[in-house]
Amino acid sequence: MPTDDGSSPVERTRLTRRSIVLGAAAAATLARPAIARAGFGRTVKFGLTPVFLTNDLVLLDGLRKYLAEASGFEVELVQRKTYQEIVSLLVSDNLDLAWICGYPYVAFRDRLELVAVPQWRGRPLYSSYLIITNGRIVKSLSELRDDIHAFSDPDSNSGYLVTCASLMAMGQRPEQFFRRSIFTHGHRNVVRAVGSGLAMSGSVDGYVWEVLAETEPHLTARTRIIARSEPLGFPPIACSRRRAHAPELAAVRQALLVMGNDPLGKPLLDMLRLDGFVPGEASLFDGIAEMARIVRSAT
Amino acid sequence: MASLLARLRRPPKSWPISIKVPALAAVLMILVGTLFTNQVLHRFDATQQKHLRELSNAYLDGLTAAILPHLLQHDTWEIFDALERAAHGYRGLDLAWTTVARADGTVLASSDPGLFPVDSRLPEPTIVRFSGGTDLIVSATGARALLGRRLVHQDREVGGIYAEIDIARLAAERNDVLVSLIATNTAVIFVLAALGYVVVRRMMKPVATLTAYLGRGRTGSPERIPDHHAPDPESEFGRLFSAYNRMARAVDEREAMGIRLAEEEKLGSLGRLSSAIAHEINNPLGGLFNALDALKRHGDKERVRQTSISLLERGLQGIRDVVRSALHIYRTDEARRSLGPADLEDLRLLIKPELKRRRQTLKWQNTLAAETSLPAVAVRDMALNLLLNACKATPDGGTISFAARDGGDGLRFCVADEGAGMPERTKRYLEAAATAGAPIEDRAGLGLWMVRRLIDECDGTITVEAAEGRGTRISVFLPTVTAERVRDVA
Repeated sequence: MPTDDGSSPVERTRLTRRSIVLGAAAAATLARPAIARAGFGRTVKFGLTPVFLTNDLVLLDGLRKYLAEASGFEVELVQRKTYQEIVSLLVSDNLDLAWICGYPYVAFRDRLELVAVPQWRGRPLYSSYLIITNGRIVKSLSELRDDIHAFSDPDSNSGYLVTCASLMAMGQRPEQFFRRSIFTHGHRNVVRAVGSGLAMSGSVDGYVWEVLAETEPHLTARTRIIARSEPLGFPPIACSRRRAHAPELAAVRQALLVMGNDPLGKPLLDMLRLDGFVPGEASLFDGIAEMARIVRSAT
Repeated sequence: MASLLARLRRPPKSWPISIKVPALAAVLMILVGTLFTNQVLHRFDATQQKHLRELSNAYLDGLTAAILPHLLQHDTWEIFDALERAAHGYRGLDLAWTTVARADGTVLASSDPGLFPVDSRLPEPTIVRFSGGTDLIVSATGARALLGRRLVHQDREVGGIYAEIDIARLAAERNDVLVSLIATNTAVIFVLAALGYVVVRRMMKPVATLTAYLGRGRTGSPERIPDHHAPDPESEFGRLFSAYNRMARAVDEREAMGIRLAEEEKLGSLGRLSSAIAHEINNPLGGLFNALDALKRHGDKERVRQTSISLLERGLQGIRDVVRSALHIYRTDEARRSLGPADLEDLRLLIKPELKRRRQTLKWQNTLAAETSLPAVAVRDMALNLLLNACKATPDGGTISFAARDGGDGLRFCVADEGAGMPERTKRYLEAAATAGAPIEDRAGLGLWMVRRLIDECDGTITVEAAEGRGTRISVFLPTVTAERVRDVA
């Protein structure tokens, strides 16, 4: 994905991440006790969406403990079924920060501020996969007409927007192209729906599919990828622009950025199959913004 | 054990009571065991059905609560997710599939989308079978059960839950119980039957003892049971043994009495025989002494001398006949010899002196060519007696006839005289069978009594044809006898 200054977002991200990780690691080590003392009594509400594997309670508990330990603030993880609920809570300042998808981020870019962007396989990028039930002889999206199609969420980039935009590019609309669309409210659920045969095809987060292929191969084994989108900005962690400079957010942001160097944080990243978190740039999500514009203009 | 098996090979009716009773107990145990097994299985089956129904209802209740809101919204994914979660939450049910359909039978979600794809139609029979409100239908094979529940919201049917359960595990459990019950019951029955056999055999031991002693009694006098075999005298068997011993004692005494009576009868018969012989001898003795006296006194007179000598001769001949008859009756040597043609020819020599004395003629015919199985001595004595009687009955100078032939099935001979005919009483005595053993009546004489006895011994028949003034014809038939018969006669 080209950028305005000619350098790739990946290279910019690497530089940024390296400098921040080196600096933050030292700072976190020295500053943690002081931050912990300063944050006593304040609870940071961290919203989560099914952009990652929210079904792993051990992971969630570990994440909460790490963030509290590393930031010095009590952290409450808030989960809701849909992206919309979390985004609504976030933009209405009922959450301090949230791990949301790139699509709602670009939709509310004027009201949200990036906190950090996960880095996967060396880049803060991922793709959307178009999957089908294994055994079907289908090669492209155009052959999925009249399918029962599984989407993740109407506010998901990889689980909805990408396929919608592709259909729009073909001059089709999902509700006309597919016989029926199923919203499963989770990428893992998309894989389950397609793998079981409930849906014939599905749109899923490529990162989630790849992690599932490692952790629950029996789920992905029953699906087959027929299309991968271009690399897009990884679902970011964002906060309300109005609270962007709050000290607790800075502390949590710092904790996220140094997670890869922390003995508590590293195992969590390993579980998530992520390299770490980087500050990220808004331009990472330009591709998503463009697709959102196409979809919006078509409606 | 070998004797037990040998007894078991016999028809059940002839089994001893010590086997019959345990066998009957075993049969009853088998019947009771079968009934018990059947009852247990029936109850077990009912319990399984009840548990299955309860668990099925719990499953349907839980599922209904979980999916009803989603069913109203036709949210396929949430229904599917609920089905998957429920499948793991009810481990007691081996769910083959669960399908949720709208009221019109269109599938909203199924745990087996391959079998029931979304938007497909459920088979009509599946819906119809549960229209009556039944929740559980077990298949005919008993391997599967179908669950179904029509879902109603605000008095409106909004859909239904249908599921199939694999209940082969329940059938397997039932089979396990059946096998265990049969194995246990069989073992218990065998143990109880063996125990019953031992106990009843022990109880029936006095019966076996009694049976053995009774069995010995069949070949002779019943033997008394010694005291060491006898059970407690006050017990039923003790009283039975006492009664048996009393009976055996009574039989012994009766037999002894019978022997004494027979002995006395024999002695009585001997006495009567001796008396008859003495009488036969004594009769002419008076005449003989008279003749002797006449000779002493008037022996010089020719006429008196001749008459006395003749009288003496006849008297001595009568005594000789009596002695000969007695000798023949009790002589045992030669008794076993078979009759041949020569034996009959001897009769001609034996009768010759009497014929000469009476100047009588004998018409002799003997066509017997070979030896027969008849006893020679008895037949010869019989014929001789009849010939002597014929001589006696025929007037001097008369003719006597004798004819003998082999009739194929036995010897036939007849003796004819020219006498005045046989008295009717004597004729009846001769012809009436089985009277030879009777005491000698009247004055029939030893000769005819002996003839009758010999005829009886030979199983023969005798026919007397007598007419006043035309003589007498006596026909005898003696059937050829077997070797055994010969022994008996001898």
